[in-house]
Amino acid sequence: MARRFVGLALLYLLLLPCSCMRWEYGLEEEFDVSGEGLFICNEGNFQYGNATLSYYDPATKTVQNEVFYRSNAMKLGDVVQSMTIRNGIGWVVVNNSHVVFAIDIDTFKEVGRITNLTSPRYIHFISDEKAYITQIWDNRIFIVNPKRYEVTGYITVPEMTMESGSTEQMVQYGKYLYVNCWSYQNRILKIDTESDKIVDELTVGIQPTSLVLDCNNKLWTVTDGGYEGSPYGHETPSLYRIDLEEFAVEQQFEFEFGDWPSEVQLNGTRDKIYWLNDDVWEMDVTAERLPVRPFLPYNGTIYYGLTVCPHTGDVYIADAIDYVQQGMIYRYSKERELLDSFYVGIIPGSFCWK
Amino acid sequence: MKRLLIYILAAIAPYLAAAQEASTRDWVHKGINIPEVRVYGQRPMKEIGSQQTKFDTVALKENISLSMADVLTFNSSIFVKSYGRATLSTVAFRGTSPSHTQVSWNGMKINNPMLGMTDFSMIPSYFIDDASLLHGTSSVNETGGGLGGAVRLSTKPAEARGFGLQYIQGVGSFCTFDEFLRLTYGNDHWQVSTRAVYSSSPNNYKYRNHDKKENIYDEQMNIIGQYYPVERNRSGAYRDLHILQEAYYNSGRGDRVGLNAWYINSNRELPMLTVDYGDDTDFDNRQREHTFRGVISWDHLRKNWKVGAKAGYIYTWMAYDYKRDVGNGTMAHMTRSRSRINTIYGQAEGEYYLGKKWLFTANLSLHQHFVESEDKNIIRQDGNKAIVGYIKARPEFSASLSAKWRPIERLGVSVVLREELFGRKWIPLIPALFLDGVISPKGNIIAKASISRNFRFPSLNDLYFLPGGNPDLRHESGWTYDAGLSFAVGKQGVYKLSGSATWFESYIKDWIIWLPTTKGFFSPENIKDVHAYGVEVKADLNVALSKQWQLGLNGTFSWTPSINCGEPRTPADQSVGKQLPYVPRYSSAITGRLSWRGWTFLYKWCYYSERYTMSSNDISLTGKLPPYFMSNISLEKALSVRWAELSFKGTINNLFDEEYLSVLSRPMPGINFEIFVGITPKWGCKKR
Repeated sequence: MARRFVGLALLYLLLLPCSCMRWEYGLEEEFDVSGEGLFICNEGNFQYGNATLSYYDPATKTVQNEVFYRSNAMKLGDVVQSMTIRNGIGWVVVNNSHVVFAIDIDTFKEVGRITNLTSPRYIHFISDEKAYITQIWDNRIFIVNPKRYEVTGYITVPEMTMESGSTEQMVQYGKYLYVNCWSYQNRILKIDTESDKIVDELTVGIQPTSLVLDCNNKLWTVTDGGYEGSPYGHETPSLYRIDLEEFAVEQQFEFEFGDWPSEVQLNGTRDKIYWLNDDVWEMDVTAERLPVRPFLPYNGTIYYGLTVCPHTGDVYIADAIDYVQQGMIYRYSKERELLDSFYVGIIPGSFCWK
Repeated sequence: MKRLLIYILAAIAPYLAAAQEASTRDWVHKGINIPEVRVYGQRPMKEIGSQQTKFDTVALKENISLSMADVLTFNSSIFVKSYGRATLSTVAFRGTSPSHTQVSWNGMKINNPMLGMTDFSMIPSYFIDDASLLHGTSSVNETGGGLGGAVRLSTKPAEARGFGLQYIQGVGSFCTFDEFLRLTYGNDHWQVSTRAVYSSSPNNYKYRNHDKKENIYDEQMNIIGQYYPVERNRSGAYRDLHILQEAYYNSGRGDRVGLNAWYINSNRELPMLTVDYGDDTDFDNRQREHTFRGVISWDHLRKNWKVGAKAGYIYTWMAYDYKRDVGNGTMAHMTRSRSRINTIYGQAEGEYYLGKKWLFTANLSLHQHFVESEDKNIIRQDGNKAIVGYIKARPEFSASLSAKWRPIERLGVSVVLREELFGRKWIPLIPALFLDGVISPKGNIIAKASISRNFRFPSLNDLYFLPGGNPDLRHESGWTYDAGLSFAVGKQGVYKLSGSATWFESYIKDWIIWLPTTKGFFSPENIKDVHAYGVEVKADLNVALSKQWQLGLNGTFSWTPSINCGEPRTPADQSVGKQLPYVPRYSSAITGRLSWRGWTFLYKWCYYSERYTMSSNDISLTGKLPPYFMSNISLEKALSVRWAELSFKGTINNLFDEEYLSVLSRPMPGINFEIFVGITPKWGCKKR
């Protein structure tokens, strides 16, 4: 009987699968895309390192997902925040990986990377050899040399601690760069790009989230108004039109208290602005009041990101669905006709036109 | 092939087992003890229809470096989600979430009231003398809110005579040091014990990082080469100290008094992700915790009734600091969050046997929480400083009544009614019904079934966390049913074989999930309805192969589909009808133990099937978590010399040096080793 039990035990142990899982290496795919295209930055889930990059060809209505991974056989990182293109190179800012990747926008191959960042949000080029990278949880804007992929200096923002630090989107007009300060902030900074000094600042409402420059060289930002219980305050959010010659608010458009407007975008001719506030809204940049009816009414889709094609004026809206599955992009014409829809990665949050 | 193996495992699982009641040392001195199979008529009234998994001393005291998370991984059917070595480890029953698992220590609930869950990596298994899992409905006997189940942990008197000392030291890979010391004293009335565990490690194990590549540049900064780097686990160091003081008094006339006080001082770095390109010397990402838990208990026992009372207190201070070197060696805070929790606990309970056929129980418990949460320091618009956080107090009251009836020896019926109050909100009545019956005395084949309605109230962070807390959340609710068969056969001193198979089904409504918002923070919502169902199989075998050889095997297998059955959130939602992310559909664990004289060889194996990382169950290149197998072995030699009991043990973890992930971007250690030396001096003291 003893032998029988020992035999059974040994047989059993032999049957146990002992090594199966392998943390796999990827394979590098070759891409060569040309013509107009749209990059979609899919944030992924915070702390899971599953951010991805998708590429959409509007002419053929085809999408390629996970193009960074497929081209480079490595992950993009944790929470991709934004992408900017300059001279055929795409600069992909991966917030919680503390890195900005430079990729070839036709092959998606990495050509370099900037590291030693705190928590990068956006990159803006002053020249081929100088760029600024904004940060959250840091009171400094990093100055980098994109050719050498190295940090060369900092612009320290006054009256801002590391813990409450937040600099966001950047827009340049002449030699001045404008930066909105978002998390627990209420300011637009004006930076002299020659001296790398903050020369002025403008107070707006609580938490300005976006920044664009229209065809009349007016700056637009939208505030989210904070949240209930915030010690920083909770107020009615507003859309602001800012005159840059005076660096003063030209007009404030108030929303309803409790609204959550976000994602201010421009069309290609920069004479219309768009934003999200449950629905998708459109307004002429010369308008004197907010529109009454939305451009696209809420239809059960959770709008998370927005862009407008600079060539056709088509409006692209990102639906993050439940934030743990592939998000959906809806493409509408200027005439509000649904032209296409396609799945991308987890939490599509921002776009970049090629 | 993998599926086939799973089926084979399931098929042969009932033939596998292990349940050793005697320690290795006992075997050396007393020979082999195979317990007698209990006859059906002696089934405890309190456990009528209950689906429990009990852990024996051998599993709990396997080695001093193990946490309860490790013990549960290899000895139970529940899912342990581990973020790595000495990092957050949560457990979930039957396809539910960690917050659906209620955890008690000596009767006092120890779920964090802010988070609703418990970190099992913070519970050293050497501090637990008695552990059991109450699956599904069975948790209603203990507490409400256990939509998945409950974990009951407790300590017991050491049963010492005179003074005793036990010291064990472990030294392992990655400069890991584990120390355990226990001092005991006991006489006819008193049992006093002091235990301490100290564990530390830089935890900087090597792994090849497949998620990133290092670049090689030429002078013009063109990439001329790339490779997957071999990295060390960065920012993973830990130092954990636990001290447990116990004192028990037994009057010998039916009164027992107990005191348990447990202090934790933990300092753990939070490991960097595989995709983090930051320099670990530039960042300090650290969590510290000081926790004190104390319980005083009194039991008064008589022939057919019992009353008891408990009082307790928990203090927890937790700090999370995320710092960045700003360039001059100064580490500036990016995040500095603090939380303080004070919990006062009281409980009274009574049992009354009416003849041999009826048992009535009543239980009242109160946990009063006082919570201060400081998440962020900011500068307000007026230039003054402010803290983002909340201060809340909440009483949690629970009362239960049960009647257990055994009209004939082969049949048992139990009804439990429980009512709970959270703050000022009563949740609906929690009812549970249990049945069991002996189908065949030959083989002790017993059928069990139960049904319950249960509710879980949102945690304090769910309701009040700033930003994002949602005071409008509804409580989660669920129906749970289970039914199963168990058997036990054996022969005293020769073998014992037991096993069970249970089918279960749960419907959970208003499942709470935290989701991102367009304002950049997360907020919880009641969004999912979930149908979790499946089968749990357990088996234990203990055989005396000869006078000196003993073989033990135990095994568990679970099949746990956990399906989102709510409405689509948007027209594009592909998650309806799909398995919940990070919940394995299959899992299994086996432990085999072969003993000969003072030698013991142990083989542990566990398996989790592929976990989806997306609610749509799509498997992407960046979101893949393939099946997970793990094998650990150990060899121990126990020696008895004139002046002491000695033990020497060597363990090998991750025997096959798997490169694997349990959670995305969290690498696990490869093969690693630890040796342990234990000594128990003989000071003229002897065990009972």
